[in-house]
Amino acid sequence: MSLISLTHIVKTYRTGDETLHVLKDVNLTVNTGEFLAIMGPSGSGKSTMMNIMGLLDNFDAGVYTLNNQDVTHLNENQRAHVRNKEIGFVFQSFNLMPRMTLLENVALPMVYAGIGRGERKDRAADALTQVGLGDRVDHQPNEISGGQMQRVAIARAIVNRPAVIMADEPTGNLDSHTSLEIVRIFQELNAAGTTIVMVTHEPDIAQYAKRIVSFRDGIVQKDEPVANPPQLFSQEVSS
Amino acid sequence: MTLLESFKMALDAIRANKMRSFLTMLGNIIGIAAVIAILAIGNGATTRITGTFNDLGATTVSLSVSNNASNDEQITDQDLQAIKNTDDRVTAISPNYTLSGFAAASGDEKTALIFGGSPDLQRTSNVMDPSLVSGRYFTQADYDESAPVAVISADGAKSLFNNQTNIVGKMMTLRSRTTSISVRIIGVTKSTADKFQGAVRRNSFPVYVAIPYSTMKLVSINAGGITDVTIKARSRNDITAVSQNTVRLLETRHDVVGQQLYTARNYLSALDQVDNVLTLFVEFIAAVAAIALVVGGIGVMNIMLVSVTERTREIGTRKALGATTRDIMIQFLTEAVILSLIGGIIGLMLGIIVAESVAAALAITATITWQAIVLVLVFASAVGIFFGIYPARKAAKLNPIEALRYE
Ligand SMILES: Nc1ncnc2c1ncn2[C@@H]1O[C@H](COP(=O)(O)OP(=O)(O)O)[C@@H](O)[C@H]1O
Ligand SMILES: [Mg+2]
Repeated sequence: MSLISLTHIVKTYRTGDETLHVLKDVNLTVNTGEFLAIMGPSGSGKSTMMNIMGLLDNFDAGVYTLNNQDVTHLNENQRAHVRNKEIGFVFQSFNLMPRMTLLENVALPMVYAGIGRGERKDRAADALTQVGLGDRVDHQPNEISGGQMQRVAIARAIVNRPAVIMADEPTGNLDSHTSLEIVRIFQELNAAGTTIVMVTHEPDIAQYAKRIVSFRDGIVQKDEPVANPPQLFSQEVSS
Repeated sequence: MTLLESFKMALDAIRANKMRSFLTMLGNIIGIAAVIAILAIGNGATTRITGTFNDLGATTVSLSVSNNASNDEQITDQDLQAIKNTDDRVTAISPNYTLSGFAAASGDEKTALIFGGSPDLQRTSNVMDPSLVSGRYFTQADYDESAPVAVISADGAKSLFNNQTNIVGKMMTLRSRTTSISVRIIGVTKSTADKFQGAVRRNSFPVYVAIPYSTMKLVSINAGGITDVTIKARSRNDITAVSQNTVRLLETRHDVVGQQLYTARNYLSALDQVDNVLTLFVEFIAAVAAIALVVGGIGVMNIMLVSVTERTREIGTRKALGATTRDIMIQFLTEAVILSLIGGIIGLMLGIIVAESVAAALAITATITWQAIVLVLVFASAVGIFFGIYPARKAAKLNPIEALRYE
């Protein structure tokens, strides 16, 4: 059974009398346990696709099924609940709350899930430990490096135990060494069973995924598995 | 998300922008401080003014005879008796005559204020404390006989008798510019100077003496027919009727109806005027306060709109993480209310400080009521909600993708 199923997705933008066809009849299925990389040149519709999958954006036609639930026609409130429960987001620019501690940042999705304070603290600390920042719980985002911030964001993404992690250019603001650190964590999480969808335009990064889907001009141009992706987490990658 | 969470978030956001938050609160601080201070001072002043009126006699009617009245038309003892007997709203009635003279016993002569009246003087006098420390007041019999008896205030007695207190039965001399008489002291009342604490230096305070008006005629050549009378009515509500009734009765008894020879005055109209002025004052303050709070509210709205714009990405992130429209709405509304309420609380404290200092300077008591405090805080919260709704809705309705893309 597929975790994510998008069929005949159409997305257009209208600016003035011009109509921009960003997604033209896209079909995409992601199974539980996959590590999928979405590639393609700038403007090919990767982010648009990701936003639709993340229930952040609407689409004009097609059907979207997420975790056995038809989410095509949900209202704003229902989408917020599905995002909270099923999806963990990792953004290119980290998007941490600047005045909150790392622990509070990681706990935020649980605040919106209505989880009590004590449990929030425990689970947020666990998630931070999982990304190697268990000793930094009381730090503020401005006291840590970019790579560490993205690790905090990953901890935040996994803390509500979502069905899938969606990362749009998660390494776009990081140097190549730190980028591999992030990809290593993704591989670890994936090995432990977490489904991951990652947008990137860098082949160096995409090669670590199990499958690569390539977009061009709003259509899926290629969709193929990666034969034996290199494993980063068995090696030592120091930060 | 619980209210406690949004409360904490709001406080964090306010703390992150201390200076800006404080400046935003200034409108509320100043408005509410002004309201609290002025209400407290106004209440204190009202208490003081009505207190003064009550001292002067809110139940007192002053009766006087015109200079144009002939001898036959002067007020007589029989008139006073008739007024008292026919109107049961009248509880006391006495001639009202004050002589600035001198009193002497064994030592030096002292200046004295000598009050002449009927035995009811004990109840009509606004200046001499009626409570007896020892002895008795003069009676109707003393009055009828023009008995040479006197009641003296305790402080006056001390100054005349070398600090002796047991002086009932002793003699003293009362003197006007022309005549002097010897009177026996039959009673001592409480010190009068106490009532004017601090207003006059004690050693220069005159000796207060009360004697029958009939006896007064023996020492003052000006004391003849009765020209001034003080009447005590049963209650404040009776004094208008008592005033009218007394004048009518006197006019009938002297057969001078409509000639306006007799005038009855009371403090009621003055008190009403003071009430009116105070009401106007309070209404004016309420208007000023409302304007100040609206200005404060606009400040809150302005800063909240800035805050929503600045935190667009934060809002987008929160939405991505699962915040509902309602969660965002409550978060920003809470922030607006807290901003407004903290301003209100600071204003409240400032207002109390100002009120206490001004009251201390004016020698009145600032009266800060619980109702005023609750009202101010409720009003501040209401302002926060009213002016916070628009920015909060704006935040809540942001499109998550556009918010996330915002630089
Ligand atoms: N809100 C929008 N209005 C109009 N055009 C948009 C909007 N968002 C994206 N686009 C356009 O859609 C196309 C795809 O954008 P995007 O999905 O962000 O591409 P990618 O992430 O692959 O670089 C681009 O041409 C972009 O300009
Ligand atoms: Mg993109």
